[in-house]
Amino acid sequence: MRWEWSEVREMDDQGCPRCKTTKYRNPSLKLMVNVCGHTLCESCVDMLFVRGSGNCVQCDTPLRKSNFRVQLFEDPAVDKEVEIRKKVLKIYNKRDFDFSNLREYNDYLERVEEIVYNLTNNLEVEGTKQIMEAYQRENRDIIQKNKAKLTREQEELEELLLLEQQGNEQRRLETLQEEQRQLQAKRKSKQALLDELERSHVPATILLAQHKDRAAQLETQIEKQKQVVKTTIFSTGIPMGQTVSLLTVNRLEEVLYHYQPIHMHTYGPPVPELEQLGRLGYLNHVRTAQPQDMAGGYNSGLACHRAIQDAFSGLFHPLG
Amino acid sequence: MKLNIEGLLVYFPYDYIYPEQYSYMLELKRTLDAKGHGVLEMPSGTGKTISLLSLIVAYQREYPLEVTKLIYCSRTVPEIEKVVEELRKLMEFYSKETGEKNNILALALSSRKNLCVHPEVSSLRFGKEVDGKCHSLTASYIRAQRHSNPSLPSCRFYEEFDAMGKQVPLPAGVYNLDDLKDFGRRKGWCPYYLARYSILHANIIVYSYHYLLDPKIADLVSKELSKKSVVVFDEAHNIDNVCIDSMSVNITRRTLDRSQANVETLQNTILKIKETDAAKLKEEYRRLVEGLKEANVARETDIYMSNPVLPDEILQEAVPGSIRTAEHFVGFMKRFLEYLKARLRIHHVVQESAPQFLKDIFEKVCIDRKPLRFCAERLRSLLRTLEIADIADFSAITLISNFATLVSTYSKGFTIIIEPFEDRTPTIANPVLHFSCMDPSIAIKPVFERFQSVIITSGTLSPLDIYPRILDFRPVTVASFTMTLARTCLCPLVVGRGNDQVAMTSKFETREDFAVIRNYGNLLLEMSAIVPDGIVAFFTSYTYMENIVASWYEQGILENVQRNKLIFIETPDAAETSMALEKYQEACENGRGAILLSVARGKVSEGIDFVHHFGRAVIMFGVPYVYTQSRILKARLEYLRDQFQIRENDFLTFDAMRHAAQCVGRAIRGKTDYGLMIFADKRYARADKRGKLPRWIQEHLTDGSLNLTIDETVQLSKHFLRQMAHSIHDISNCNVQCFCQLNLSQEDQLGLSLLTLEQLQSEDMLQKIAQIAHQA
Repeated sequence: MRWEWSEVREMDDQGCPRCKTTKYRNPSLKLMVNVCGHTLCESCVDMLFVRGSGNCVQCDTPLRKSNFRVQLFEDPAVDKEVEIRKKVLKIYNKRDFDFSNLREYNDYLERVEEIVYNLTNNLEVEGTKQIMEAYQRENRDIIQKNKAKLTREQEELEELLLLEQQGNEQRRLETLQEEQRQLQAKRKSKQALLDELERSHVPATILLAQHKDRAAQLETQIEKQKQVVKTTIFSTGIPMGQTVSLLTVNRLEEVLYHYQPIHMHTYGPPVPELEQLGRLGYLNHVRTAQPQDMAGGYNSGLACHRAIQDAFSGLFHPLG
Repeated sequence: MKLNIEGLLVYFPYDYIYPEQYSYMLELKRTLDAKGHGVLEMPSGTGKTISLLSLIVAYQREYPLEVTKLIYCSRTVPEIEKVVEELRKLMEFYSKETGEKNNILALALSSRKNLCVHPEVSSLRFGKEVDGKCHSLTASYIRAQRHSNPSLPSCRFYEEFDAMGKQVPLPAGVYNLDDLKDFGRRKGWCPYYLARYSILHANIIVYSYHYLLDPKIADLVSKELSKKSVVVFDEAHNIDNVCIDSMSVNITRRTLDRSQANVETLQNTILKIKETDAAKLKEEYRRLVEGLKEANVARETDIYMSNPVLPDEILQEAVPGSIRTAEHFVGFMKRFLEYLKARLRIHHVVQESAPQFLKDIFEKVCIDRKPLRFCAERLRSLLRTLEIADIADFSAITLISNFATLVSTYSKGFTIIIEPFEDRTPTIANPVLHFSCMDPSIAIKPVFERFQSVIITSGTLSPLDIYPRILDFRPVTVASFTMTLARTCLCPLVVGRGNDQVAMTSKFETREDFAVIRNYGNLLLEMSAIVPDGIVAFFTSYTYMENIVASWYEQGILENVQRNKLIFIETPDAAETSMALEKYQEACENGRGAILLSVARGKVSEGIDFVHHFGRAVIMFGVPYVYTQSRILKARLEYLRDQFQIRENDFLTFDAMRHAAQCVGRAIRGKTDYGLMIFADKRYARADKRGKLPRWIQEHLTDGSLNLTIDETVQLSKHFLRQMAHSIHDISNCNVQCFCQLNLSQEDQLGLSLLTLEQLQSEDMLQKIAQIAHQA
């Protein structure tokens, strides 16, 4: 159990470096972070930055109050990095189709990463800023143009999300409609019962019984409809045409069905039995079955037999 | 005996054969002929394993170019050993009959823990430790370092194997795990690497499911196996869950904290290396710019987890520029971790799809989809470059990177569920991110695509049509075989009511009902008085068992039961359970008889056989439904409904019934065995439940044995047991391994359920056999 305790402490350990309040002591504590990546709690920010601007307590960077954001992550450095990254990506917004090949695009991505890395870790800040400005001046058109565009990956994502939303919406609508329909059907049958009770001369008990019967039927119908699921397709793209029931057939115990072979009048010469085909040499003229066919239970005798039946039937058909 | 199966000469190492074995081989042969996949159900104890082995081996000998390898997957080490023993028997029979030396190489493969012979490493207790230690001795770069610094420790077995073992292939023969170890010790070679090296040219491999299904392991071990292999999944009734587990990732706060530590270590190591050996990082960078074409040289010993089923086209591409340098990648991982931490800091349950997650992560921390997809691969490369020896330490960050790759690769079939606490303890914050796979076909797809024939077989696969649907493949043969019996040696009964006519059911509303619990107790009490030797009782869950046993104790039922038999209980603790099992068997052996109370889906229900007097009756208390309130299950059910048109209820019932069948099937392990199967829940009488039992049980479940009261059950059971106790002879020449006392003479079975070669060849027997296979 000890690790649990330490974990809890770790989560509550987050606190304001200035007034030393922690989340544990003040659960409503709100930590803020500014561009330099140093944390302050909300009340300290309010106190120190009454005039709207001031210096960071830890690194002495001049800061504006309006730039304080709620700290999302445990590590304020990540908050800072994300902030910087968003800024950089606004300028460096070239997409993969702006490049002739993947290699160049990857090199470009790395350059962007380098800039973000330098800015976050305060390495050559001035030089990097100059590079950024130069880039911005040179590529003003492309930056403007790409502002609204998404990368291809993001487009795909949006599409998927849209699909998902549509699917959910459709499902919701369907269930709603279904419910509505059921409600109506029930109301209708109730009304019908009242009408009948008013007009008909049949005793009320019978009418009630009939109504009960009908209601039960309606119920089963609704049940059945509920079970019919909309056909979609497999993830492989194979369409699924039907709902497959998993029930095996119930065994009936009462009266067994006696099979009587059908006597077909073929009006032709007698057809040899299936087993005899091979012996009589019929099979020599038929394509032998492939192993793929045999697995499913097929053999060449079946086809041959059928063909012979076809050929023989009707040969002696009586005229008139 | 030598059989002729549609023109194929099959050597069968026993003098007698069951008709269903013949029929099974017939179907199997057709499946192999068609080069397709098959689903075959045959009751346990009818000799599935030997039929499979003898047919496939015969096929291999006959058509060496069509089928080059048999890959036999089983679940546990004892099962693997059992298969190898059967195989050994078959091979002995071959060499006796043909008189020539066999040139078939068959071997079992298991983890390092089971195969290591290094005196220090093998003494470690946990598999992970053994792997880590082994890796720290044998990784390629460690061995490279040793060239300059010979004082580093090494594994002499591996060195010896590396120097000598690859020149001559392993001599032909059958090797189980102990044989491999002996061989390794004799030669001074590492048996694990020897086995892994030898599976490439072995004719028959026997190993665990995970070596094929878990993408991380499969990529290392089974990647190069020939396409012309036949894969057999034995005991495959749980295969969908294995597939799902191998693809799912659970991330807790602890995982994240450990990954955080991992990232810091990485950062420090990078800084250190930059000062001392910057060329190495440059070299890696150059390689990444070129693309991810892997150097195959180091692959064998570097067990860095590989990418879970990464599509090949991505491997061909180069790593995106944003994570190309080591520092950038570490920064990237940091952002990802912080993002996950922020996500785990929630107070209500969140469920979202992969695209939603990706969108959110882009908005919050600017992480694109593409670098995420390369995450696992990039980490692997970095770990290799930094030459970190003990990779066991980095399991947390590896897990996170695998998650990153999976979530960005698959937009369908997965769901993300973030729960702030466990359902049972809503006051203790314990956030977990479940990235759960809902589509078992994702993990198994490469297997179906790569190998020409995949056979899925088990004693309980009913209803047969559901497996091809949830695993998404097209079988050429789907068949269920029944057991032909000289006498009805199984007696399934559905008990629905107590003597007081109160319905007996474990339905949620009534399960706490006093009358139901009492009736269950009475049933056990009555059975304990009439059934000889062992009784095994299964409950639906541990908590339910606890409740019931507690109130039985209060009602004095337990005391009464103990007058008849001793009682043992399965617990979640493995050691305790195996102790209980051992004592249970002892009690059965000395004639007093015992009762084992255990849990469906537990260890006992899945792997322990209760042959003969160890299990004369199985009582299944209630229907073992899964815990339906879990969100992961709900998401999976929804997915099944949307994608595969499988209704929730159908799947739940299917799942419950396969476990119930597993449980009751524990008692019948062969034709000479006999046992009662008591289903104590009135819901079993319904057609939708009953119809999902395997055919060999359903056959004996007549209308007369449905919805019985307790005293009717006692009546029927007494009658059945008296019948079974007749005629005690002794036979020793039976083809299923049974060395206990047998109540059935061979003559009784001959001609009916046991055939000699002459009988097999007779015309009408062949026709009868044709009817055994029930084409689904």
